[in-house]
Amino acid sequence: MAVEVSVGMADIKLGRDGDVLATVLGSCIGVCLFSASHGAGGLLHLMMPTAGNNAAQPGIKKAKYADTGVPELVHSLKVSFGVQPKDLVAKIFGGAKVLQNVERNIGAENAVAVQAILKEYGIPLKAHKTGGERGYRIKFHTESGKVICQVFGGPTEEY
Amino acid sequence: MADQEIDRALKLVANLSIDKASQVLSKMIKAGAKIELEGVSLEDVTKATERVMQSDTGDVVGAFVDLVGDLPFKFLFYVDANDSLTLTDLILRRELGTTKKFDVYVTSTVQELGNILASAVTNVFASDFQIKMKPTPPIVVHDYASTIFGEYIMEAAAEQDEILMIESMFRVVRLNVKCRMFLLPKGDAQKELAAIVGKI
Repeated sequence: MAVEVSVGMADIKLGRDGDVLATVLGSCIGVCLFSASHGAGGLLHLMMPTAGNNAAQPGIKKAKYADTGVPELVHSLKVSFGVQPKDLVAKIFGGAKVLQNVERNIGAENAVAVQAILKEYGIPLKAHKTGGERGYRIKFHTESGKVICQVFGGPTEEY
Repeated sequence: MADQEIDRALKLVANLSIDKASQVLSKMIKAGAKIELEGVSLEDVTKATERVMQSDTGDVVGAFVDLVGDLPFKFLFYVDANDSLTLTDLILRRELGTTKKFDVYVTSTVQELGNILASAVTNVFASDFQIKMKPTPPIVVHDYASTIFGEYIMEAAAEQDEILMIESMFRVVRLNVKCRMFLLPKGDAQKELAAIVGKI
């Protein structure tokens, strides 16, 4: 039976057969990877562009960072559903600068980092809506790959 | 220092702080305000944000305040957007229902409430524990509750996978206005606080 699953910060959730993966983003990025041939996908809710020195530490929460989270999502889809990177397409959302008093624009850095990693894997970026100053609410339908996105105060859009 | 001692110290400070905040708020709005401490807990960032997402029914107005000084903390106050209109009328002594949309008056009210509540917390730190702190000017944001909560914990969550949260809810009793307050120690603040409280 299809279910709707919330994806918290620094987490990965997978779904198929109509499962809907939902999250709410600010400066974080939501990476939706989808395989049409498998009718399955996964959503990564990452917080920062790179793990840096933490990458080698045991027990690191890989989904926190773009450079460890995207490979982990690709690996999880392979292990769970037999999906190869060549089967996948990506859609990314979020990366807003919600707090205007904070100098660093971590959201923009996150978006750049994710796009670079997807390029390394050869995963095409089918859609993206990033930046701005408002939060994002997204629902990823893993059967069709459709993503319903609403930026706070704006219309609901389909990607 | 044992985790239980840190927990005890934080609960003590949290209880005193919310008592003080409750008194200040009741006086300000001239209505009974009841604040309840929901918990002091060390929580995984993923689980904490999932929990907020699952109860996130819409937009809220939040005030972010950094408490700077001897021990750095982050303070967050937020209220459902609809309830922020009621609070604005209460604070401005207007007839209830006068404020109909999110505007500069609502922003100012939430900013003022954030400042007053954060100041109540820092007063407790100063008067009862001789810890000098002061609130920075509140930053007001109108957005999804989950977005506001995520941005609030971002700095702490970047450094550790589990965050220590002090969470409370207050209600303006006769109007059923519900708000939330969070207090989050930065860095080693909770250990230092426990050490100070333990000496008193």
